[in-house]
Amino acid sequence: MTTTRRTTLASRIGLPAAVIGLLLFTLFPVYWMVSTALDPKASLRGSDVLPSGISFEHFEFVFDKGNFGTYLLNSAIVGLATIVAAALLALFAAIAVARFKFRFRTSVLIMILIVQMVPLEALVIPLFIQMRDYDMLNSLLGLSIVYIALSLPFAIWTLRGFVATIPKEVEEAAYIDGASWPRMFWSVLLPLVAPGLVATSIFAFITAWNEFVFAYTFMKGSDKYTAAVGIYQFFGENSTAWGPVMASSTLVTVPVMIFFVIVHRKLGSGLAAGAVKG
Amino acid sequence: MKDTLVSGEPKIPAPRGPRPPDGGAEAARRRKKLITLTRPWLLLAPSLVVLAGLLLWPLIQVGKLSLQDYEVKFGGGVGTFTGFDHYSDLLTSSLLWKTVLPNTVFFAFACVGLTVALGTLVALLLNRLGATWRMICSIAILAAWAMPAVTGTYVWIWLFQPQDGMVSQIAGSVGLIDPETTNWFTERGPFYAIATLNVVHHGFPFVAITVFAGLLTIPKELYEAGELDGANAWQRFWNITVPTIKPVFLVVTILSTIWDFKVFTQVYLQPGGDGSNEEVYNLGVFSYIQAFAKNDYGTGAAAAVLLTVLLLAITVVYIRTLFRQGEEDL
Repeated sequence: MTTTRRTTLASRIGLPAAVIGLLLFTLFPVYWMVSTALDPKASLRGSDVLPSGISFEHFEFVFDKGNFGTYLLNSAIVGLATIVAAALLALFAAIAVARFKFRFRTSVLIMILIVQMVPLEALVIPLFIQMRDYDMLNSLLGLSIVYIALSLPFAIWTLRGFVATIPKEVEEAAYIDGASWPRMFWSVLLPLVAPGLVATSIFAFITAWNEFVFAYTFMKGSDKYTAAVGIYQFFGENSTAWGPVMASSTLVTVPVMIFFVIVHRKLGSGLAAGAVKG
Repeated sequence: MKDTLVSGEPKIPAPRGPRPPDGGAEAARRRKKLITLTRPWLLLAPSLVVLAGLLLWPLIQVGKLSLQDYEVKFGGGVGTFTGFDHYSDLLTSSLLWKTVLPNTVFFAFACVGLTVALGTLVALLLNRLGATWRMICSIAILAAWAMPAVTGTYVWIWLFQPQDGMVSQIAGSVGLIDPETTNWFTERGPFYAIATLNVVHHGFPFVAITVFAGLLTIPKELYEAGELDGANAWQRFWNITVPTIKPVFLVVTILSTIWDFKVFTQVYLQPGGDGSNEEVYNLGVFSYIQAFAKNDYGTGAAAAVLLTVLLLAITVVYIRTLFRQGEEDL
C-alpha cells in the first residue's frame, strides 16, 4: 500500500484487495467464533466455512449445565464496582494534575506512568498472599479492588486529557458569577467532562470484564468465577467441547464489541495514550 | 483526535485562583494559599492510596519475596531470607537462557515489529479510503481490538487445533502436513507463531488508529510539494510521513514493546502453555508456574522482578520520549 503508485491499475486492484484482506484478517476469527457457537456439530466442524446448521443448544448448555449466568453476573458486578470507583477516583486525580500546578506534580505523573507498566505477573504473587492473609480470596470485592487499581492509571491519563481541553475561561466565568468550587465542579466541570467519564468507565469495565490472570488465581470457588475464567471449564486438556467454549466466548465478546462501536467516536483525545490490552 | 498525548496538547495555563481581593487582607490570602497548596493533594489522595496499596506495595513485597524462601505453614506464610540465592539460581539456569528469555524477547520483538508494520499499513490504507469504506474498515478494526484476549486466544486455538481445526484440515488437504500427527502447539516455533498471530490481531488496531490520527495532522501541502519534486510514494512516506509523525511511531512502538513483553494470557491458555511444556515458557508464565504450581514463590518472585526490571528499562525510554516532546505535555 505504501508503494502504491498513482497508476490507476495498481490502486484499482490494490486498494480493494487490501480492504478485503483487512476485513478477512480482522473479522474472520469473530465470524468463526460465532458460527461455531451456533453450529450444532461444532466440534466436527473442520474446514467447513458455513456451519452445518443453526441452533442455540450450546448457549442453552452453557447456561443450564455450565452455570454461565452466574459467571456473567459476577463479571457484571465486578465491572460495575470497578467503573464507579475508578471513574470517581480518576476524575479527582485528573483534575488535580490537569488543573493545578503543584510541587511533585511531574513526579506523580511519572509514578502513575510507571505503575501502569508493572507486569501483572509481578503483582499476582504478592497480591495473592496479601488477599489470602486478609481472607479476601474468592471475594468479588477483593477482585474489584484489584481491578480498580489496575484501571486507575489509564483512567487518570485519559481523563487528564479531557479535563485539560476544557477552557479555563469557562471555570473563571463561573467563579466570577460567584460559584463555589464544589458548585463549579458539579454544574460546570462535570457536564463538560462527561464524555470522557463515559469513555473511561467503559474502558475500566472492559479491563475488569476481560481480565484473566487475577480472576483465575483468586477465584477458586466455581460459583465465584468471572465469565472470562468460566470459559476455561469447557476447555479440556484432551478433548474440548468447542461448541460451549465458543458459545461462552461469544457471550463474553459481543457486549464488549457493542460497547466499542458505540463509544469509539467519543473516545477522542487522551485515549490514544493508553491501552486496552488484556 | 487532534490533541492526543502524542501530538501535544495545548499548554495548560498555570492555575490561579480568583484574583486576590483588592483590599489585600493578609489572612484571606494566606488561607487561599493553603487551599491552593493542599487541594491538589486532597484530590489525588484516594487514587494515590489505591495505587500505593495495590500496585506499589505488592511490588516491594515481590522484591522482598524474591530474597526469601516462602512456605505456607499453619495457614499463614513464613518467609526465610536466603539472600540472592533465587537470583543466582535463576541467572545460572540454562532454562532461563536457552528457553525463557529467548522466547520472551524474540516473541516480543516479532509481535512489536509486525504490530507496528501492519498498524501503519492499515493507517495508510484508511487514509486513502472514502468515508464509507473507512467506516467499515474502522468497525472491523474495532472488532479485532475489542475481542478479549481470552476469547481471542480460544478462537486461534480452535483454528489451529490438531486434526479438527480449520487451518490444520486445510493444510492437511493441500498436503502441507499430516493432520493426524501434526500438533502445532508442541514445538515452540509454531506455538509462538500462533501466539504472535493472536497478539498482532489484537494489538494492531491501536497502532492503526493512533497512526491514522497522526496522519490527519500532516498538512497536505507537504505531499504536494513532494510530488512536485518528483518523489514517489515510497519516498514521500519515508521523507514526509515518517519524520513528521515520528513521535507517534515512537510512542506506539514503545507501548507495544511494553505490552508484548508481558503477554501472559495468550501464552498460558494455549495448549502446553500452562506449564506442561517447558519449551514454550516465557518469563511471565515461568514466574507464575514457579509460584503457583510449584509453590516456589521465591523463584517466581525473582523471575517477576527480572520481568519488571526489563519493563522499567523500557518505561524509562518511554518517559524520556514523552519528555523530549516538551515538558509542558506532562
